[in-house]
Amino acid sequence: MLDPDGGLLRGTLDLLILKAVSWGPRHGYAIAEWVRMVTDDELLVEEGPLYTALHRLEKQEWIVAEWGYSENNRKAKYYQLSRGGRAQLRAEVSSWERYVRAIGKAIGASAPAPA
Amino acid sequence: MRRVFRLMGGKRVVEREVDDEIAFHLEMRARKLMKQGLSPEDAQREALRQFGDLRSVRERCVTTDQEREWTVRRTNYLTELRQDVWQALRVLRNNPGFAITVIVMLALGIGANTAIFTLVDAILLRTLPVRDPQELVTIGDPSRTSSFSYNNGPQTSLISYPLYRDLRADTSVVHGLLASGMAGRMNVTVDSTDQEPERARGRFVSGNYFATLGIRAVVGRTFDSSADETIGGTPEATISYAYWMRRFHGNRSVVGHTIRVNGNPLTIVGVTLESFTGEIVGTPTDIWLPVTMVDAVNPNSRVLPDRNAHFLLLIGRRRAGVSLAAASDAITAQMRRLLGEHLNKETSPEDLKTLPVFVSDGSRGLSRVRATFGVPLLTLMAGVGVLLLIVCANVANLLLARSVARAREMTVRVAIGAGRFRIVRQLLTEALVLALLGAAGGLALAWYGSRLLLTLASNGPETMPVSVRLDLPVLGFTVLASVLAVALFGLAPALSASRVDLASAMRGHARSVTSGGGGRRGMRFSLGQLLIAGQVALSLVLLVGSALLVRSLQQIQRADTGLDRDHLLIVDLDKTARSYNGERTANLTRDLTEHIARIPGVQAVSFSENGIFSGSESATSLQVTGFVARTADDSTANFDHLGPGYVRAIGGHLLQGREFGAEDVAGSERVAMINQSMAAHYFGEGSALGRYLRFDDSIAVRIVGVVGDIRDHSLDGSPLRRFYVPYLQPLYGEPGGLVLEVRTSGDPALAQLPVRAAVRAVDPLLPVDDASPLSVLIAQSIQAERVLARVSTGFGFLALLLASLGLYGVLTYAITRRTGEIGLRVALGAQRSTVVRMVLGDALRLVVVGALIGAPLAIGGAQLLRSQLHGIDAIDPVAIVVAVAVLLTSAFAAALVPAMRASKVDPLTALREE
Repeated sequence: MLDPDGGLLRGTLDLLILKAVSWGPRHGYAIAEWVRMVTDDELLVEEGPLYTALHRLEKQEWIVAEWGYSENNRKAKYYQLSRGGRAQLRAEVSSWERYVRAIGKAIGASAPAPA
Repeated sequence: MRRVFRLMGGKRVVEREVDDEIAFHLEMRARKLMKQGLSPEDAQREALRQFGDLRSVRERCVTTDQEREWTVRRTNYLTELRQDVWQALRVLRNNPGFAITVIVMLALGIGANTAIFTLVDAILLRTLPVRDPQELVTIGDPSRTSSFSYNNGPQTSLISYPLYRDLRADTSVVHGLLASGMAGRMNVTVDSTDQEPERARGRFVSGNYFATLGIRAVVGRTFDSSADETIGGTPEATISYAYWMRRFHGNRSVVGHTIRVNGNPLTIVGVTLESFTGEIVGTPTDIWLPVTMVDAVNPNSRVLPDRNAHFLLLIGRRRAGVSLAAASDAITAQMRRLLGEHLNKETSPEDLKTLPVFVSDGSRGLSRVRATFGVPLLTLMAGVGVLLLIVCANVANLLLARSVARAREMTVRVAIGAGRFRIVRQLLTEALVLALLGAAGGLALAWYGSRLLLTLASNGPETMPVSVRLDLPVLGFTVLASVLAVALFGLAPALSASRVDLASAMRGHARSVTSGGGGRRGMRFSLGQLLIAGQVALSLVLLVGSALLVRSLQQIQRADTGLDRDHLLIVDLDKTARSYNGERTANLTRDLTEHIARIPGVQAVSFSENGIFSGSESATSLQVTGFVARTADDSTANFDHLGPGYVRAIGGHLLQGREFGAEDVAGSERVAMINQSMAAHYFGEGSALGRYLRFDDSIAVRIVGVVGDIRDHSLDGSPLRRFYVPYLQPLYGEPGGLVLEVRTSGDPALAQLPVRAAVRAVDPLLPVDDASPLSVLIAQSIQAERVLARVSTGFGFLALLLASLGLYGVLTYAITRRTGEIGLRVALGAQRSTVVRMVLGDALRLVVVGALIGAPLAIGGAQLLRSQLHGIDAIDPVAIVVAVAVLLTSAFAAALVPAMRASKVDPLTALREE
């Protein structure tokens, strides 16, 4: 199931964004850079969809945005995790782990015993 | 990271922010790419490529942000509203006296409006509970719901049965044409064991009545068109739900039950829906009978085949695409053609064109009540509207005074950053809370008020059966009135309060808005003073209006009736119930008059067909030898059948000749009396005695007497032409009604029981429909005028009370604030009387300004009342003088208490406070 947000499984990008802002306020470019770095440029094919996802998460009140000034003194929109977002991040991480374990177990399984 | 303060913005702000964010991203990306060695142009291109579809991303971000902003705003708004409401309730709880005063005033204003509107809605606005009422169209005068007119000239206000059949045959513009008529009390016997027949409200209707209106039966069936096929061949009755419950306790076996109407057996075939009480607003029907049964049920009646017997009103459904105007034109043309086919000799086809046309919208049914109370109700509606304005002005003044007291609170709020808009909103919320609490009280008041009005407007003990209920239109009206009131009384004080002067308010020197610019004398008025002047002006309008209505009522009551109105008992007998006819009628009337004349205190007794301020009315066309009629109206006159000694019995005036005696009976020479108006119309200065009236070319009647005009059915309007023929020499067959006129030496009410006993002695089974003193009947005939005068006077005094309270409040407040000044004046040698004069002068100034504003308004309002006034001009000096005097007196009374208080100011105390 491919997501129109950019060739990712739905929810994966959301999870990455929530993770990216979990250490403190970050602007969109910084989040994009972080995603590229931790995924070895594999996942983020286009950067635009990152922004639609950011705005969507803001509407869902999982992240809150604030305008501030960047390191090079440019006006930038900073995002950080809300209280609800932190809970959401925890929930998504644990469900992702369950998912990975289940798929991993399935892939690593031997041929079923004859009935 | 440094923070930037961000305000909520509209779409443009959202777009700019999204653009800024994306621009920042692209710039950072390009800068990194340049660091990796790309040229600036290549770097920008590569950044854009990596970003993807910029346009679509931007659009989606903007949409998301806008949705988010709406949600946030709504949440904020609701939160703030909740805060405001809580704050408002807290403020009101801390000032219970203020809150109760305001809520009571608003409840009075809103309640009065809702009560009147409830009646306006029930009587004037509500549509009938039938299928597609907007398609209905009525033919005939919709206020003549229970009239019968025997008239050999063409008539359009009521329709004869043959004309109805002709009209119904043409279905090109209107289909399903139904007829109904002869509403009235019927003698109904439900059980064979019943001794006295009960008087149920019956109505004769055509067989398609229920089908056209789309009314089905809850039990059994209604009539169908087969009821129209044969004359007298359908002895059936359909009864209303309310009658079923009342008389048969909702028993389903009622279908098939036989009841007797005037002794004739009829079978109940069904019960109608509960919501349907007939097509007449204000008069619910108990029993519907097929119109083809009229002659079978009423003895001596032969009205169905008679084109001169007009008694039906018609209702039909317009075909799709036919406008009311088009239907009216088509029906008018059709009626003129049909009436033209059966013209009598006195009428020319030209006369038909001058006949009024009675085709109107039928969605709200027929109603006599509407015709009587329509304009008075709208007049009252305007009056209570003015009352609500006065209430609003009063409440606004109270709020203004309070806003001065709350200046510090407002200042603190402004100081900690509340915007002016926010403060106005909070004060308006307070006003809205007050208005809604007032509206709740008002609804309760209206619930009782509208019933009280109905009782006032009803004849006798039975309340007028108009269904009043607090339904959606009424609630909508109340909410609208409340919101309007908030806008009127809440806005000005809110705007004024939000305009606080930070520095002076903080120092505790907030200037009163009601003290006239800080006590400065001169012709400058503060908002509070203007509100008082406005209240005085509006009160004057109401007072002048109600004074005019009271004066008009007095004129009507004093009108010369041409008879002894205080000593007559009018007794309505139902002789058709006992099938009296010819010789038996002669014996009955002789026995009745003899028995009643023997009652002590009875001075004279006679009888007539139509009665005085009761019963029916007859009119006919006639020829007068030597008189050339110019219009159809010229050759019609009202008439009555009279017993011997009638003129003397009622205390009338015989001007010339003689009145009827015992010798004027069937077989002797036909004679007539005419009234003064008729004599003047036909004979001018010449003598009427010995001249002849002719009817249908066959009957000639010699005039033997001229009587003074008698107001016998209405107190207003000019007297109608009227002639009289002996009861026992009937003009068109046996008279239908029999009414006794009994003249007493004392109170006629005392003769009621002996007269009833005398009637029982003559014929124990002869029903007495009514026995009332004439003065009561006359009072009933001007019921609408009496209710209007009474209720508007009530509103007038309420307005006066409110305005006086307002004046009192403002003066008291001003004096409290001027204590220092007054103390100084007294210390400098001013007399107590000077102080009193000063305060009274201030009050007078406001009242005079108010009266000057009010005078033109009152005169304008009086012009609107003109149609309601009888016997006086719209500019009646007496009414105006009375209104102004009442206003000045109560203003003086309201100002006196504060003035006395001001004169008692102790200079030492006052100056020490300063």
